Amino acid sequence: MLSAMPRRLRLPLSISLAALVVVALGACERRGGCTGSYCGTLIDAAIGEPGTLLPPSTEEVVARDIEEQLFLKLADVGMSTNTVGDEDFQPLLAQRWEWDGPLTLVFHIDPRARWQDGPRVTATDVSFTFDAYNDSAVASPYRPQLKRIASVTPRDSLTAVFRFRERYPEMFYDAVYHMRILPAHLLRPVPRDQWKTAPFGRAPVGDGPYRFVRWQAAQSVELVADSTFFLGRPAIRRLIWRFTPDLGVAVSQVIADQADVREQIVTPENRERLRAAQQIALSPYRGNVYAFLSFNLRADGDTAMPNPIFADREVRRALGMAIDRASLVRSTLGELGKVPPGPMSSLLWIWDPEIRQLPFDTAQAARILNARGWRDHDGDGIRDRAGQPLAFHILVPTTSVLRKQYARLLQEEYRAIGVRVDIDEVENSVVGQRVGTGHYDTAILSRANDPSPSSGISQTWTRAGFGGSNFGRYGNPEFDRLVDRAIAAASRDEARRLWRNAMDLINADAPAVFLYSLENMAAIHNRVDNVQLRPDSWAALLRTWRIPSSRLIDRDRVER
Amino acid sequence: MTGVVWLLRRFVASVAIIFAVVTLVFILIHVAPGDPCVGSEEGGTQDPVMCPLLTRQFGLDQPLHVRYGRYLLQLLHGNLGYSFSLHRPVSGALAETIPFTLQLAGVALLIDFLLGLGLGIYQALRVNRLPDVVLSNVTLFVYSLPTFWLALVLLLLFAEKVKLFPLGGPSDPILCPVIDSAYCLADRIWHLVLPAFTLGLVGAAGTARFQRAAMLEVAQQDFVRTARAKGLSERGVVLQHQLRNALLSFITRFGLTLPFLLTGAVLIETIFAWPGMGRLAVNAILTRDHALVTATALIASTLVVSGNLLADILIGIADPRVRVPADGGPETSLVPA
Repeated sequence: MLSAMPRRLRLPLSISLAALVVVALGACERRGGCTGSYCGTLIDAAIGEPGTLLPPSTEEVVARDIEEQLFLKLADVGMSTNTVGDEDFQPLLAQRWEWDGPLTLVFHIDPRARWQDGPRVTATDVSFTFDAYNDSAVASPYRPQLKRIASVTPRDSLTAVFRFRERYPEMFYDAVYHMRILPAHLLRPVPRDQWKTAPFGRAPVGDGPYRFVRWQAAQSVELVADSTFFLGRPAIRRLIWRFTPDLGVAVSQVIADQADVREQIVTPENRERLRAAQQIALSPYRGNVYAFLSFNLRADGDTAMPNPIFADREVRRALGMAIDRASLVRSTLGELGKVPPGPMSSLLWIWDPEIRQLPFDTAQAARILNARGWRDHDGDGIRDRAGQPLAFHILVPTTSVLRKQYARLLQEEYRAIGVRVDIDEVENSVVGQRVGTGHYDTAILSRANDPSPSSGISQTWTRAGFGGSNFGRYGNPEFDRLVDRAIAAASRDEARRLWRNAMDLINADAPAVFLYSLENMAAIHNRVDNVQLRPDSWAALLRTWRIPSSRLIDRDRVER
Repeated sequence: MTGVVWLLRRFVASVAIIFAVVTLVFILIHVAPGDPCVGSEEGGTQDPVMCPLLTRQFGLDQPLHVRYGRYLLQLLHGNLGYSFSLHRPVSGALAETIPFTLQLAGVALLIDFLLGLGLGIYQALRVNRLPDVVLSNVTLFVYSLPTFWLALVLLLLFAEKVKLFPLGGPSDPILCPVIDSAYCLADRIWHLVLPAFTLGLVGAAGTARFQRAAMLEVAQQDFVRTARAKGLSERGVVLQHQLRNALLSFITRFGLTLPFLLTGAVLIETIFAWPGMGRLAVNAILTRDHALVTATALIASTLVVSGNLLADILIGIADPRVRVPADGGPETSLVPA
């Protein structure tokens, strides 16, 4: 046919035909043969990539999601995310447990549990895991959460005994939530200071519902269901985490049917895009992130000196009252955000809208500033005192669109009461360095909570966090005492009352303006059934999700 | 012998340029604000024990000149260092990503030159006629488009709306995690189309304008007029005389295009989730991974300098007018005969 063409057209036509063949080949998926209830491939459009898949060494959210499928905990929190006592916890690796006195907890490991390379999971694995998580050479970020457990020892091959240093309501939570049990027979030979780089972390062997298949660097991680899993065969046959650096592209992958799950859509714009896609269902669940405008209570770069503006509690209160937090959340996040009643996300069970908060009252804010001597003496629109203008900088990371947007809105609201604000947009690592060394006035920071209020609030808002995460160096002995008492409270009701008192106090002290708490919304392909999203970890119950045989699509059936 | 000396001189100059780039990047990344140990503020888990350990382990507590000396020594032994953000040797990470960047840049280069060359010649042969005027404006428009914007638009149109091409990644994660069949090779090419076309299209617009100008300049030369006077066909004049001479400037453009492709790849790889060296470099900069940043700069500058060296050699081969004086004096520049 080509020979019949004019010569000048042959080359372009040949190139075009070749391109068409390639595109057609690429566009056609090979038809596979899996049928029935245990088919299904679920692709998660993940942001970021883990450094390793060895649980004690990982902090990334995506690593935790994958590890949920590979390594079991002894037990896990329930859908209520109640962390007090043990009644709401679900058995996993431990078939049952009992208290042997006030400080001793005994776990009985399910005799059916096996490592995916064959051996049985034993109590020795549990004690080995505790030892590893506590080893400074491993440098696990979860180590501080285990400090009140004195020891973990095997009583027999299937019985592990936890001994605590003291009695407190979240003993069970601390025993089970932070540690994923590790295979001692595979990891014991690896020197602890080399765990982060160990080959095991890039090809892990676990005891969970899914087995590791492959990790393509900067591309994807693939897991396949373990049909012999002792708690029941997972219904979805294959899980793939597909790494995409850009959130917008990740959302597009779900819209274009090239991924099935985006667990957090973050912005109202993404929500609107996804609502237009017929095949997507949007599922809201409680978020675990809150953000705040942190006031540095110490002088810029000198933790020994009080800050000339923010050391004054009344001025901080006035600056808190000048912000209409509800309007800001409505205009920036809509239903994807809430005004937090204190330093917490809605994941925490201590979330209580009845907690006393500073009102939005610009008139009162202006009166307080006047009373503290901050007036516009020179008529330039900016308040001043003794020749010093009431002016400060807000530090925000360039990578966060939301926080940059908030900085501009705060700048405008403060301008209305005569406060000059400049915005410093810098890289996230520079924000980390500057707040860590106290070289800032204010900064919009965010925190992710685990289900318990105990560790996060202590580390960020009490004096125990000086030199650590309490960057603004807020220190009120009464607040610290209330937090300690709440952590040690005998009952959930008592703890709730004490936490509420602590929150009332920190709101009154205003070491920060608590701006927003993110509400999560997952976008999931509507062929997926039995979707359960546990607020602290959307992937925790993935093994119970299913894709009915009547709704299978090509990629579910593919055999390789 | 003169040619060998010339080549040797160019080689030494190239090594010096790479050395200067690496030194500059090393100094900049080490004096830039931000601490690899502290990381971001979000984690808020700086370990007072681990940070000093890591700092010592990676020699971050040493003066800059000591660190630089150690780095050069390691480099001489072929050791690019250890990435503390990836928990692995830098050479391993680069070995995985460089092929992807070369695939992307190679195909983009092909699109750039084939399309740009074709359009440039086509316009030159129809100078100041309607197709030339239209294409001149179109190429100017495309050339002025920001690459990242074009990438997003193409992604939206051809991947999300029309669903003709995949939305990011180098291959189908289910069917072709590795290339082990002709089908998977086609799948890789299918995944390459949008990112390579984005990168190549903007370059092609520039190449077209460049080539058009070169063709028109050559068309004014006496030898072209002579060829026509000798009675050669128009096709023969264009292909054998005009185009061959205009290709000399095209080779120069080859050297200039490489840096554009590599810097463009940084954005394109991020948007299209292409696992190449550009994406690796961005992550390294954000995490202040000194060893990885310096290594990516080393590789990128080596590629660019090699490309330019190759272009110089090709010009030397292609154009007999370019000669190097035996006395080692300045090279003769490309001038009309």
